[in-house]
Amino acid sequence: MTEQQGNGLATVEKYYSQYGSRAKELKAEGRKVIGYLSALAPVEIITAAGAIPLRLKGYVSEAITRADAHMETIVCPFVRNVFDAALKGKYDFLDGMVLPHQCDSIDRTNDVWNYNLNLPYWHFLNVPHVTDDPSIEFMQSILRIFIGTLEKFTGSRITDESLIQAVKAHNENRRLMRELYDMRKAGAPLISGIEMMKVLVAAMSLPVEESSALIGSVIEEVKTKEAPADAKMPRIMIIGDQIDDTAIVEAIEGAGAQLVMDDLSIGNKMYWADVDVTPDPVYGIAGRYLRKLKLPTTCANSGDTYQENLEARFGHIRQHIMDFKVDGVVLFIYKYCDPYGFDVPAMKSFIESTGASVLYLEDEYSTSTLPRVKTRIEAFLEMIA
Amino acid sequence: MGDTLVSSVIGPSGPEHRRLANKVMEEALASASIVFDDLAYVVATGYGRINVPFADKQVTEITCHAKGLYSLLPTAKTIVDIGGQDSKGIKLNEGKVSSFVMNDKCAAGTGRFLEVIADALGVPLEKLGDISIKAEKAAIISNTCTVFAEQEVTSQLANGESVANLIAGIHEAIAVRIYSLISKLKISPDVAITGGGAKNIGLIRALEIKFGFPVLVPPEPLLTGAIGAAIVGKEICERAAGSGEILKRSAQGLQEATFFS
Amino acid sequence: MADDKKPRALATQAAAKIPKFVRGNMSETLKAKEEGKKVAYAYINDGQDEIMRAMDIVPAWGESFSGVCAAKRDAEKYLQKAEADNFSRSLCTYATCTLGFDMLREELGGEVPPGAPWGGMGRPDMIIGSGQQLCDPRFKWPQATQHYLQDVPVFVGSMYYPPWDPNMDNMEQEKIYVKYATEELHACVSFCEKHTGKKMDWDRLAALVDLTDRTWDIFIDTYELRKAVPTPMDTGDAMNTMVPITFNLGTQEAYDYYSDLYNELKQKIEKNQGVADEEKYRVLWGAGLPSWFALGDFQYFNSMGAVFPAETTYRNAEKIERLDLPETNDPLEHIAWRWVRFWTHWYDKARQRPGSIPKVERIIEYIEDYKCDGVVFHSTFSCRSWHAGIVQQAEILRKIYRDIPVLIMEGDIVDISSYNEADTHNRIDAFIEALETSKTKGN
Repeated sequence: MTEQQGNGLATVEKYYSQYGSRAKELKAEGRKVIGYLSALAPVEIITAAGAIPLRLKGYVSEAITRADAHMETIVCPFVRNVFDAALKGKYDFLDGMVLPHQCDSIDRTNDVWNYNLNLPYWHFLNVPHVTDDPSIEFMQSILRIFIGTLEKFTGSRITDESLIQAVKAHNENRRLMRELYDMRKAGAPLISGIEMMKVLVAAMSLPVEESSALIGSVIEEVKTKEAPADAKMPRIMIIGDQIDDTAIVEAIEGAGAQLVMDDLSIGNKMYWADVDVTPDPVYGIAGRYLRKLKLPTTCANSGDTYQENLEARFGHIRQHIMDFKVDGVVLFIYKYCDPYGFDVPAMKSFIESTGASVLYLEDEYSTSTLPRVKTRIEAFLEMIA
Repeated sequence: MGDTLVSSVIGPSGPEHRRLANKVMEEALASASIVFDDLAYVVATGYGRINVPFADKQVTEITCHAKGLYSLLPTAKTIVDIGGQDSKGIKLNEGKVSSFVMNDKCAAGTGRFLEVIADALGVPLEKLGDISIKAEKAAIISNTCTVFAEQEVTSQLANGESVANLIAGIHEAIAVRIYSLISKLKISPDVAITGGGAKNIGLIRALEIKFGFPVLVPPEPLLTGAIGAAIVGKEICERAAGSGEILKRSAQGLQEATFFS
Repeated sequence: MADDKKPRALATQAAAKIPKFVRGNMSETLKAKEEGKKVAYAYINDGQDEIMRAMDIVPAWGESFSGVCAAKRDAEKYLQKAEADNFSRSLCTYATCTLGFDMLREELGGEVPPGAPWGGMGRPDMIIGSGQQLCDPRFKWPQATQHYLQDVPVFVGSMYYPPWDPNMDNMEQEKIYVKYATEELHACVSFCEKHTGKKMDWDRLAALVDLTDRTWDIFIDTYELRKAVPTPMDTGDAMNTMVPITFNLGTQEAYDYYSDLYNELKQKIEKNQGVADEEKYRVLWGAGLPSWFALGDFQYFNSMGAVFPAETTYRNAEKIERLDLPETNDPLEHIAWRWVRFWTHWYDKARQRPGSIPKVERIIEYIEDYKCDGVVFHSTFSCRSWHAGIVQQAEILRKIYRDIPVLIMEGDIVDISSYNEADTHNRIDAFIEALETSKTKGN
């Protein structure tokens, strides 16, 4: 058996700091590893194909040195950094990648990735931006096209049964993560924001059953901790897309606050909603990824009034602020990001209407700007104290 | 605990923060005729606040400028701090920070811009203000990047533009950047300017035109942050005295700091 | 350098007529209310033109408004207004310029802010956006606008085309995409019906779609006249002549405009009239939106003997026969086929040339047809939709076609603070030298 049982956080540390190492091990054992970006990638399909889905991340302390020769600097700094990491060989063991159409930074660089990495398998999943009925139908069609190319690559059929099993496994994985999140509702959470970030990152790099086992063992380990005294520190929530390094969390918790919640694309956005179990699994998968995920790149616009649309877009944030008793929200948005950038005024005013204070930071995917970020976080915490 | 400022020292910053922190503290103590152990609490602020080993607490310059300014100019609701490396806007609500904005990514809109231009024009930094108010008009500097703007200034100088007009143009360019930053805070009067930039009368005038009303300036803008830090320390001591709490102090006294120790 | 009298520095009389078109479009949005018409904020190339025109909806094009602000070098106050509410300066400046204007107009209770160029734009009755393949701001911008105009209904449709994949035949997927696009266009019609209180006149719509087909044809026929040596019109003019097909598509005026331009170019060719005094280098504008505040740079190129007989930007049309469109009775389905096939009709060529991509095939087609010696790309920082991928296009072009001189300029569409004229002219000079070297080497 693996060492994961009983040693949850230690294993998390290993997979956080040696990112992708487990996928590499499994690749050496003959498994296929499919890398992906974005919470929009339907991991259930990759799992059902018998392959291992590996969410890609970048390296915030590394400068971009090779990407600029092929990719514009006006592209999302996160996408550039991951591409740079791939060019440097950090993901050489991948059998292929699936890139969902999350945003222009991904859609417009799809060929740049494909042609430069030249992996045996490549698929661009053309996820639409809207959620009406024709879009759900279209989503199912393109999911089936994805299933087709994956079948061709692996040489074996992806049956409905295997999809149903994969849906179950991933739903269970999400349920476990939500259980861990629940433990942060306490006045003095037993798991710190720093530890939670590491869990999120480690979890997204493992095959689903191992990920679930790891989260389970972390829950067990954390439960046994003695509850610290409620330090009455400000309770902070961070909102953004892919923030996958503890640097910013350390800046927040190091300044005397607790990071108790997030709405990040490797965190809450990924774990909050399950796939509905439906007779046709592709229908359920389409429904979750298109309608249940709350991403700014999916336009929730079907309300009759602006207020209804705001609820559809951000209502879940207010719920979290209430459930997790959040005092302040850090809105950490990357420069050159249209989908989040255009949402900032509406998001900020929505969050402030809940009574929580907002610190809006526009920044890079890099630790080089950390000193400036720290001052702002400290000033924010001094302000809401 | 009294309310009066007993002594103050202003010294140049540089790379050796720890040695400088020691030095200014020694001078301030000497000027007040007390020793380090007489101090009840020490608060450090500013960019180098993490490099003051004898400080009991570090507080950001946003909070400190706000407290300091409010004690000097209690009618101020919006504070503009124009520093050497960054510029900030702070909104006050009953003396407390209610929101803030910072620009520390780009030199244009900070004192650094002025330093670069002063250098290019061969004019001492502290004379910029006086010279600019003699300008006929502000020269148009269209580049917002400090490096390009410097080129533009040099080129216009070579084409016969007067130094006064050019400085006025630079003040205008900085005022535009600063006003744009402060606009993120719903500006309400009174607006107070602090930091090194507040000592530049030309820049103040350019800003007043943007705001559309006169601004307040504290008597010594370079001390506002330190005054605020002292007030923060005082409040901490008062709270502790009231609750009977023993304050945690830094174990380090004044010492000859070794470079990079 | 004596020249026949040209207005400003345009090579054609037709281009000089464009400001009237643009002003006319903007003033229509201001007069609409008293004429009993509805105004819709709309965005170009979303396939929704015929729908709006068939229902007498007056489109208010933010992209045109921002372009005008930029050309007049008067966009900064709107950009700053948007920035003051926390819109990042790195966002699409077509959007942030218009958003800043919208915010100011709302503060004045719906009255146009004083100093707005050419009277500004009227407050919309509805917003018609699209989550289409190419551009996130086409749905984020409408969403963001609604934050300030909360009573204005917003429609966001969708139009996708099969993505390029060297290992897959996209033709199999086309039907799925066309069905989807058609359904979304029908949804757009329903939205317009709801908010105008009128029913769509399908015959009128069909007639307009026929008109736009013919407009595409005459537009391309006209632009193909630029293959002549010397070229009678270059990209400097095309950044004006793109207006009718982009902002007035679906009107007879747009069709007639290109008829007139066609005749004018024919006459110029007969008289051997070019754009530069001496046409030394023919250059393709390979990709990128122009800097609307620096269109004069085209004259700078011309002054060095470089002309642009063709560009990919705002040439979003093709001869209908080349697209091999299936027959359909549904005019919306026809629009969908036309849109999808426009974007995919370079895929076959790309498949036949290993290592190529459709965008590069298009560039190669124009280089050969228009006899170009070099390619200029313009990378604008606020637009990922049209500019991410340019570095790769240049790379691939030189790798699989030939080592042709390439210049990648950097700037922005609307934000002039990024622009440095001396620097830009330096780069152009260096490129001209590269073109000269390449010519003498007999490349």
